[in-house]
Amino acid sequence: MPCSNLTMWVSSKPSISDTSSLSFRFQLNPVRLFRHTSLPSTQSQSSSSNSIQCGLRELRGRIDTVKNTHKITEAMKLVAAAKVRRAQEAVINSRPFAETLVEVLYSINEQLQLEDVDVPLTNVRPVKKVALLVVTGDRGLCGGFNNAIIKKAETRIAELKDLGLDYTVISVGKKGNSYFRRRPFVPVERFIKGGNFPTAKEAQAIADDVFSLFVSEEVDKVELFYTKFVSFVKSDPVIHTLLPLSSKGAVCDGNGNCVDVEEDEYFRLTTKEGKLTVERDSVRRETAEFLPNLQFEQDPVQIVDALMPLYLNSQILRALQESLASELAARMSAMSNATDNAAELGKTLSVAYNRERQAKITSEILEIVAGAEALT
Amino acid sequence: MTLNLCVLTPNRIVWDSEVKEIILSTNSGQIGVLPNHAPVATAVDIGILRIRLNDQWLTMALMGGFARIGNNEITVLVNDAEKGSDIDPQEAQQTLEIAEANLQKAEGKRQTIEANLALRRARTRVEAINVIS
Repeated sequence: MPCSNLTMWVSSKPSISDTSSLSFRFQLNPVRLFRHTSLPSTQSQSSSSNSIQCGLRELRGRIDTVKNTHKITEAMKLVAAAKVRRAQEAVINSRPFAETLVEVLYSINEQLQLEDVDVPLTNVRPVKKVALLVVTGDRGLCGGFNNAIIKKAETRIAELKDLGLDYTVISVGKKGNSYFRRRPFVPVERFIKGGNFPTAKEAQAIADDVFSLFVSEEVDKVELFYTKFVSFVKSDPVIHTLLPLSSKGAVCDGNGNCVDVEEDEYFRLTTKEGKLTVERDSVRRETAEFLPNLQFEQDPVQIVDALMPLYLNSQILRALQESLASELAARMSAMSNATDNAAELGKTLSVAYNRERQAKITSEILEIVAGAEALT
Repeated sequence: MTLNLCVLTPNRIVWDSEVKEIILSTNSGQIGVLPNHAPVATAVDIGILRIRLNDQWLTMALMGGFARIGNNEITVLVNDAEKGSDIDPQEAQQTLEIAEANLQKAEGKRQTIEANLALRRARTRVEAINVIS
């Protein structure tokens, strides 16, 4: 391409030359001849090359910007990768609790099947109002993560409207908060996710809120919207019916499928052939050590009363942790793409810059040579 | 014959070792558990758990849950647990005052329920520091 420019320049020479103010004109005219689009800001020569049209100085500026962006996105990717590991550990730490709880719940439920136990949290009332607990992230730059879950919530809201049911939204996470704030809906409470990792305290605060809403009969059904972590590149927004809990101890999700409380799923970060992969394992708990003479210190009702909030808590915490892991994975993948794009763009710009630089040098040389020739 | 105590919260395992005796606060009062206790399942109230290791008593604030005692294995599942030694007295006192103020301000059934729970928790934390033996 520079060569073609050069020939043009050379061919235009006879029409303007023969005067001593040769060099001056040669500098100006090529600029006017070769400028295709209007880029008035160029102070140096402009040339067209592969659809990048701007001056040397501008190109340099752009290359610097792209390099900075590349550094930032790469750093963000690494940070997200490190955090996913921590999120993973948090999930693992919460497993003993969840496992034991499930075991206890199961064994107690078996003994209570025969009795007529009335637990407020399992009350199946005719549904007039539904609470939607939506878990989103705090920050952006994570691809389609926040949008996916919000869209799911919107779809559900439309469904509820069609069914003629009233609804209210509890939003967890800054992104969800700002979204629902901009829409004059009926949100109940707005939680700002405190810090990076969801703690039991936060889960308890949310659980308290949900609990009091349900028990005071302000809502008749509570649904949990969170993102399930499937793999590093895939995460699914799911709906999980939190309340009412089915009295069998099993919980049904939004489609009416029952998720058996005995099974427990978790994901594990491992290295397979040197690459980070995720393995989803399902553990079937055998009810170990069934104590036949287990006496209930209090009324079975009270015991179940104490267990249900624990279960609620652990469900919510689990949802928060999975959401966080999904968000981090989405951010990792988005930043990885951004880094690759930045690297590519940087390369393209560099090539264009070098071409222009060389063209400039070549034209200067030719100028000098021509000038020298003209003098001799 | 020693008792093995396991205190689990959703976040982490707070305690997992052997003890000599514990005193647990339940909904129907306090119960003491010595080795070879009969199997019992009980709900745990928001209150103090006292642990004895060799004539030394430790306190832990528990935020409600469930306990299962059987075969010299005690499993306590609680929403949150804090060792008395880990609680900052100033901060606990402040939290208590804030919780009391919130209860005064509470309107409606929902807020009253929440405020009550928060108050009980704050009170337990303060007690956990004060009660040493």
